[in-house]
Amino acid sequence: MNLFFLIGIGGAVGFLSGLFGVGGGFLLTPLLIFAGVPSPVAIASVTGQVAASSTSGALSYYRRNAIDLHLALYLILASTIGSMIGVTIFSVLRAAGQLDLFIAVAYLLLLGFLGTLMMTEAVRSIMRRRSGVVMRDKLPSQHSWMHGLPMRIRFKKSKLYISVLPVLAIGLFIGIVGALLGIGGGFILVPALVYLLRVPANVVVGTSLLQVVAMMCVTTILQALTSQSVDILLAFCLMVGGTVGAQFGASAGKYLRGDQLRALLALLILGVAIRFGLTLVLKPSDVFSMAILTAGGLG
Amino acid sequence: MRRLLLALMLLGLATPAGAEKLASTVSSSTVQITSSFDGAVLSLFGTIDSNTPGLAPTGPYNVIVVITGPLQDRVARLKTNNWGIWTNTDQVTFKQFPSFYDVLASGKLDNIATPDVLEAQNVLPIQQATSTATLGEGSTKAAEFGTELVRLMTQEGHFAVREDAIRFLSNTAYVAQVTLPSDVANGPFIAHTYLLKDKQLVADRSEGFTVRKTGFENFVFVASKQQPLLYGLVCVALALGTGWLAGVAFRR
Repeated sequence: MNLFFLIGIGGAVGFLSGLFGVGGGFLLTPLLIFAGVPSPVAIASVTGQVAASSTSGALSYYRRNAIDLHLALYLILASTIGSMIGVTIFSVLRAAGQLDLFIAVAYLLLLGFLGTLMMTEAVRSIMRRRSGVVMRDKLPSQHSWMHGLPMRIRFKKSKLYISVLPVLAIGLFIGIVGALLGIGGGFILVPALVYLLRVPANVVVGTSLLQVVAMMCVTTILQALTSQSVDILLAFCLMVGGTVGAQFGASAGKYLRGDQLRALLALLILGVAIRFGLTLVLKPSDVFSMAILTAGGLG
Repeated sequence: MRRLLLALMLLGLATPAGAEKLASTVSSSTVQITSSFDGAVLSLFGTIDSNTPGLAPTGPYNVIVVITGPLQDRVARLKTNNWGIWTNTDQVTFKQFPSFYDVLASGKLDNIATPDVLEAQNVLPIQQATSTATLGEGSTKAAEFGTELVRLMTQEGHFAVREDAIRFLSNTAYVAQVTLPSDVANGPFIAHTYLLKDKQLVADRSEGFTVRKTGFENFVFVASKQQPLLYGLVCVALALGTGWLAGVAFRR
């Protein structure tokens, strides 16, 4: 695969991730698969790229003291276990020849759901602005059933006194999904932290970024050990393109309105979801395929 | 008497069918391929001699050379449509299947060898598939998936039957060329030469050579297989370093 193509695709997705303020893994992995990169390689390599693109963000939030390290530690521990489970499932699916199917279905559901949600929200917001009605978003209520669970821990920075169980559950889920799909999962983690745990806005993004960096590092090492499908050259091209592209994306984002941006992103996400849907229902050009089970012949 | 019998038996082992002796060689015993280039061309030479001194070998002869690359376990999968969705529903595993298989010949295989000879020597690519399938040799499913596997390998340029690839320089000397693509597996290759006369096998011989890929890409590939932990750590360090650098460089 062409070096410039890879830096280019990394840069384009980095631009989008900077523009929309998302990690980009959930766009980069599908794009690489559509470009012909085998899905195990795409997933494992994008994992490395997500670690890189989240690092600069996490560092700047850390400098601004906007990370709840205590909460992040619990999330990282749980997501490490989740990542191990995810990588194991990944290997089993790959050996059974069902990894591509799983990825297509998972991305179709995940992106379809996310895209629809974002689209309706963005359209509603645009309509509201057009009609001139000013409405405040409902603030999440202070208590939920989550707060009734046992094993409560005080997270000082987030000003929370909550059960550790939902924290661990969220970390575990993100770890499994992240390892399986090659995504950081920030777009799941941030809403989960805000709406389920009521983590305050000033620390939620930083904490989420730190957790993504740690989880993606762990997953990269696990993928290198078990599936050996991390392509370090591919990952590095994506890292360079992605981190540079993100800076330009962030500057460009200042000239566009938030709801328009979200509508654009929703369109993009829905497009990728539809593309995955098509690979499931259209007859493949070749119904037979082959794969190597053992990599023999090493010098 | 017994010693004479033993000597006769040994003689019989050394020259299986006829009075011909085959001498052959490959142009290099180690082939270096740079991963990003087109591959390497290897030449094979051979001469036919008579086993009886003073008697010239009488042709016409034909030659088949089979080049086999390192063996790998491979799986062929079939997608079918279930409830509107295309999924892999059936697969056959081929144990120790060659990663590279090139049949070179001095003429149409059917014209230079009897089907029995081709069959007995496992020359045809499809026989590689049927003899390695885990389902057993007789299975029709193994034959079906084997045919498709050979087709896929041929599409990738790793399997071929080239019936005009061997050229006779004289009645008793031949030369052949084989192109090894840059994505062949590293490791031991075997060139097995069959000498044929009147469609029958009269002598055979095999040479080994090694393919060693060089260059940075191959170094990285080998590292990922042999030092996976170190490889993963380097990748993580690269990610953190790139991210940190970008953060410093673009700090606002």
